[in-house]
Amino acid sequence: MASILRLHRTAIPAIALAAAALIGLFGILGSVYEDQLYRAQKLDELSIQAEILASSVSAALAFNDNATAQQYANALAANPQLDMALIYDNQGRVVARFVRAGIDPRPPAHRATGISGNHVSVVLPVAERGERLGSVYLDGEMDSLQRRLLKYGIVVIIAAMAALLLMVLAVSQHAMSTANRQLEAQARDLVEANRTLQNEMRERAKAEEALRQSQKMEAVGQLSGGIAHDFNNFLTIIKGNLHLLKRRLAQGQTDVQKYVDSAIEGVDRAVSVTQRVLAFSRRQPLTPEPNNLSTLVADALPLIRQSVGAQIEVETHLDADWWVYCDTNQMENVLLNLAINARDAMPEGGKLTFATRNLSIDEAAAALDIRPGEYVELVVKDTGFGMSDEVKAKALDPFFTTKPHGKGTGLGLSTTFGYIRQTGGALEIDTALGEGTAIRIRLPRRYVDSLTRSA
Amino acid sequence: MEALIVRRRAHLLASLATLGLAWLALLPWLGAAQADDTLEYKIKAAYLYKFAPFVAWPDKVFASPDSPINVCVSGANPFGAALDRIAAGQRVGGRPVQVKHVASVAPDSLCQIVFLGGSAEQSPAQGAAALRGQPVLTVTDGAGGIIGFVLVDNRVRFSIDKAAADESHLAISSKLLSLAVEAH
Repeated sequence: MASILRLHRTAIPAIALAAAALIGLFGILGSVYEDQLYRAQKLDELSIQAEILASSVSAALAFNDNATAQQYANALAANPQLDMALIYDNQGRVVARFVRAGIDPRPPAHRATGISGNHVSVVLPVAERGERLGSVYLDGEMDSLQRRLLKYGIVVIIAAMAALLLMVLAVSQHAMSTANRQLEAQARDLVEANRTLQNEMRERAKAEEALRQSQKMEAVGQLSGGIAHDFNNFLTIIKGNLHLLKRRLAQGQTDVQKYVDSAIEGVDRAVSVTQRVLAFSRRQPLTPEPNNLSTLVADALPLIRQSVGAQIEVETHLDADWWVYCDTNQMENVLLNLAINARDAMPEGGKLTFATRNLSIDEAAAALDIRPGEYVELVVKDTGFGMSDEVKAKALDPFFTTKPHGKGTGLGLSTTFGYIRQTGGALEIDTALGEGTAIRIRLPRRYVDSLTRSA
Repeated sequence: MEALIVRRRAHLLASLATLGLAWLALLPWLGAAQADDTLEYKIKAAYLYKFAPFVAWPDKVFASPDSPINVCVSGANPFGAALDRIAAGQRVGGRPVQVKHVASVAPDSLCQIVFLGGSAEQSPAQGAAALRGQPVLTVTDGAGGIIGFVLVDNRVRFSIDKAAADESHLAISSKLLSLAVEAH
């Protein structure tokens, strides 16, 4: 296709030139024909004039009235193209003549009808009813050959130029229509592509919606399953203790305080789960206030140390001094949660690091879940056994836990994640199996005046 | 203008003289045999039959398309043998020219052109009167006939009586009329 087009493109100028040459040739042939016509016409004109003269001069020749013949000859002066008119009698003598000024007045030695150079000559006998009386000779001048050629040449050039112009127009028209066709095809393709793309986008949006819905349903199922399971445990504890309490009371024993305490503890744990679920579903009322994460970590450190035990070394690098807005109690819960997770990941002991720093995220560093801006970053890092990719992918799901049955609720990280998102921050898990885990929390920087800070 | 006319006349006279000389050269014996033949009458003799191509007769005049044109000399013959010699073998419009000599003319003379020379019993005027209204071209020296020879500046010219020609149903060519010195 392309090669044909290329051939076309190179062939068109050649065709144009050939056509122009052809038209030029036609122009030359036409000019030759035109010249023939011109000469024939001049000869005709002169012949008619000669016939008129021969006819009108017959009586004058018959009766030797040379004066009258001369008058006829003189009348021919009116024709500017006529150079010479001679009237001969029957003996071949010139009896009357007209010779234009500036023309050689000598009669021609040889008289003949025809064209010689630029001269047209006509010889015609004068006769009346078959009675031959003499003859007339007319000689006229045509346009010079040069002049005629110039005239025809201009015609030829104009014809050739017109041909070239036509060819150029045709070629450009052709090129334009080709380009137009290509553009139209491209536009059609684009429209088609756009339609396909939009269809695909709609399909994708539908699929994503369906996925989200199914994930939501899965989460709801998991959540309700987890809650039911936990509540079942708590109810079993409460029910068991109440049964024991009932049996002891029936036996008349009074040392029932421990059963009552166990039952109440079960109720408390159920309340705790309820609160966590509420926090996860963001129904928990939050009271955000200006906080310095470095201070907050430092304040919570004694509690953290107590929670993780002596075999775990706790280290801090508290470099952040920008302020953030967060609920202090929730933030402390987050720190404790993460510390307990880290402890559980390091049963043989290890090192737990709390680090804070100021962080500016520019356009290049911005990710899907974090916009450019100023943040305060908190990293809680342990040297535990880390997570596999599968575990990492589910780590934030509610009720997902790797801890032995009854030890974890599966709500710690998910609650933390929910809270951080609610605060406008982001949470990342940086982990690999056997290489420890780092939880990276980023909260947006907030500018606060001294009054609010002191309050 | 005056000079031009004079020059033209001189030229014409010269050519006239040349014409006459040529005829003499063509017919040398004529000049010797007929002493009374003047140049003037030789020219008139030539004109007499040369009128024929310029005149149209009614069709009824000729019996057939090749019937001869009769050129008659009535009464005195001033041309001598010149007319016979000049007209001999000539044809006008396919018709042979015949020269006839008659003593007098009448409507039934079967002449198409008549030179009225005049005789004792019929003068040129009487001849012209006799042929008045007939399709015959009457020619006389001076006035009288339809055509009358006159001398102008020593040149033989002629006058044409157009009314008489019309009366005789003769159509005379306008070319001839334009040469007439005094057309009526």
